[in-house]
Amino acid sequence: MADVKLQIAGRPYDVHCADGQEERLHQLAGIVDTKARTIQGGTEVRQLLFTALLLADEAHEARAKAEKAEPQSDSLRAAVALAESREAAARDALREAEAREQALRAELDAARQASAPPPRNAHDRALLQIAERIEALADRAERMP
Amino acid sequence: MELDLDESSLAIGRIERALSRIEKALADRESRPAPAPAPSETASQSALKAEVAAVIGELDRLINEAKHG
Repeated sequence: MADVKLQIAGRPYDVHCADGQEERLHQLAGIVDTKARTIQGGTEVRQLLFTALLLADEAHEARAKAEKAEPQSDSLRAAVALAESREAAARDALREAEAREQALRAELDAARQASAPPPRNAHDRALLQIAERIEALADRAERMP
Repeated sequence: MELDLDESSLAIGRIERALSRIEKALADRESRPAPAPAPSETASQSALKAEVAAVIGELDRLINEAKHG
């Protein structure tokens, strides 16, 4: 146990707390001291009574606010869950679209290969053969009497 | 027209020169006062014309094929 000396509204108080809780106790006493100093006049007990009432009022309001915020948290959680499920659906659709695109690309490549023009060398060879045949015809035309 | 320029331009040049030679040979023949041709000569000319037409037709087909893939 630790001994702690507190000052509240100018009056000293000796209290005990568990070891290690001293700092926390000083912080809380600071809050009570600030509130108690706003209440002037009256006996020590009356001053502490009003301090306790004011702090209880603040705690009550804070709890009410927290309770009011809970439904908003619920709707936010629902919205997040909905967004997550939509994102998952969109990912699935994207994966399907990618698979479809790959399949179409493969089909396109196959179609391109099926309709590929004959190799250029075939045209060149055919042109050379035609040149030879026309040259032979020219020889014949020149030899005609 | 997708052709290898070295090979194809060489072949096209040869074809153009051979066609010019044929045109010149035919023009020379027409300008000469020729005696009446023998039946075998007429048949030979017809065969030559048919062959020239066939080769030119083949050349047209080849050019079309190269143009349209």
